[in-house]
Amino acid sequence: MKWSSAVIVAMALSACGSKQVIVQGNFPTPIIEKHSKTLAVVYTDEFANHEFFDQAAGRKESDWLVKTGDAQVQFWDTLLTGMFDQVVHIRSHDDLHEHEDSIDAVIIPYVVDLQYTIPTHTNVKIYEIWMRYRFRLVTLDAIHDHDNGDLSYDPETSFADWQLTAYGKTPTAFLQSDEEAVNLAAIVALRDAGANFVTSFERVNEVKAWLDGRGVERYEKGKK
Amino acid sequence: MVRTMSGAKSNLPACTQTPILVHPAIQIKSTSQMKGTSQIKGTVQVKSTSVWVNRIAKIASGSIAGILLGGCVSATVDEMTFMEPTEGIGDSSVVILGRRHAPDYDTEFEFIECIGDHIRSGDKSITVLHEIEFINMLYPWFEPRTAPMRTQDIDKLLQQPPVADKFAEIKLEYMIWVDGTTIETNSSGSMTCGVGPGGAGCFGFGTWGNTSDYEATIWDFTDQTEVGRISANTTGQSYMPAVVVPIPIIAPVQGTACDSLGEQLLKYLSANH
Repeated sequence: MKWSSAVIVAMALSACGSKQVIVQGNFPTPIIEKHSKTLAVVYTDEFANHEFFDQAAGRKESDWLVKTGDAQVQFWDTLLTGMFDQVVHIRSHDDLHEHEDSIDAVIIPYVVDLQYTIPTHTNVKIYEIWMRYRFRLVTLDAIHDHDNGDLSYDPETSFADWQLTAYGKTPTAFLQSDEEAVNLAAIVALRDAGANFVTSFERVNEVKAWLDGRGVERYEKGKK
Repeated sequence: MVRTMSGAKSNLPACTQTPILVHPAIQIKSTSQMKGTSQIKGTVQVKSTSVWVNRIAKIASGSIAGILLGGCVSATVDEMTFMEPTEGIGDSSVVILGRRHAPDYDTEFEFIECIGDHIRSGDKSITVLHEIEFINMLYPWFEPRTAPMRTQDIDKLLQQPPVADKFAEIKLEYMIWVDGTTIETNSSGSMTCGVGPGGAGCFGFGTWGNTSDYEATIWDFTDQTEVGRISANTTGQSYMPAVVVPIPIIAPVQGTACDSLGEQLLKYLSANH
């Protein structure tokens, strides 16, 4: 009887507790012609540790914490490595100086917004994740290192600055928990972000100009 | 060779063919039921004198009978195909892909796998590529955002050398797109379950209906043309009476749709059928 009481209490508590998802998945390398450039990537702390917290609106709902940071870094590393001849990470003063002669540009990604829905919210049997990204491309000399080892840059010096959205959904499935479904929806959203990035990258005028070797106009104007 | 069966229908009468345990979800569900039953049987052998255990043994045999029962399914298949490969497809390959761009449903991965398995088991000489492996191999060109919607889009894909090389490597001859889903159409009844010191049990009756509606579009990848459409519509009603133990009488709606589409595709692709 003690055991059955404990089980019932545990079930009652778990019904309205908090739910946490650390997004995990495997991501394929894109099959595209690589750009003959060396690209450096700066993952800000905010990006590399990105998480989303949503507080329960009522007693029947749960708090949700969705941690996408590790998956973001893993995914964008895989994607960019498949898109460029060489990709290097800039994390420190040493990285900056080690690659200063070879880097053509530095990309800095941001997750601007993330929204999710689960069947409890919508009464539709679909889990959804929607994300909005912002990407900035800067030249290496726009990155500054400080005495304490920190790196910084002036956003106004970016020569390309664009946004894109990504969407992932997964239907409810037999024996699939809310957490598993949200994880799957996040993976689909990341893959969609990659598909959107690959297909829209060269449509950004400033990016196209950079890839064609026509210079980095906005940044050079900024210098003047 | 042109073969057209526009509007040809095979109305399978209710309860004449109900292959049980075809739907992957149902398989899992039923497997779970069977496991539960065997555990109870084991307990009976050890404690045969217990009245409570004997009662469970009776219930277990009832649930086995329930699992063996199947609900009724009716299926309608329409087929319209052209340029059938009468000599088979040789060492070329086929891929079956689900459409997942609609806002309110995705064609189930399990359903696509089921059709692929049906074709593979019907003619072992046909190479049917695994859907997820194919999508990953050609990332990001077969994501919901980027997947070709018309045969004219194939040319755009082939303009990219790495993609064209990959297609040449896998010798893809047919790309089959399946669009559709299975939904629950109605449900009614009620069931009450309880747990007490003397045991557990349920009492009541539930019923629900399912409808599967799928259409397969066959693209000849080499000629970049559409060479056929096959659709399958199946409906069925499942029941769950419960007197102490629930007895599921499941209508294998999605499984019948899989078999119907799989069989027609097998006949189209195989030289032996």
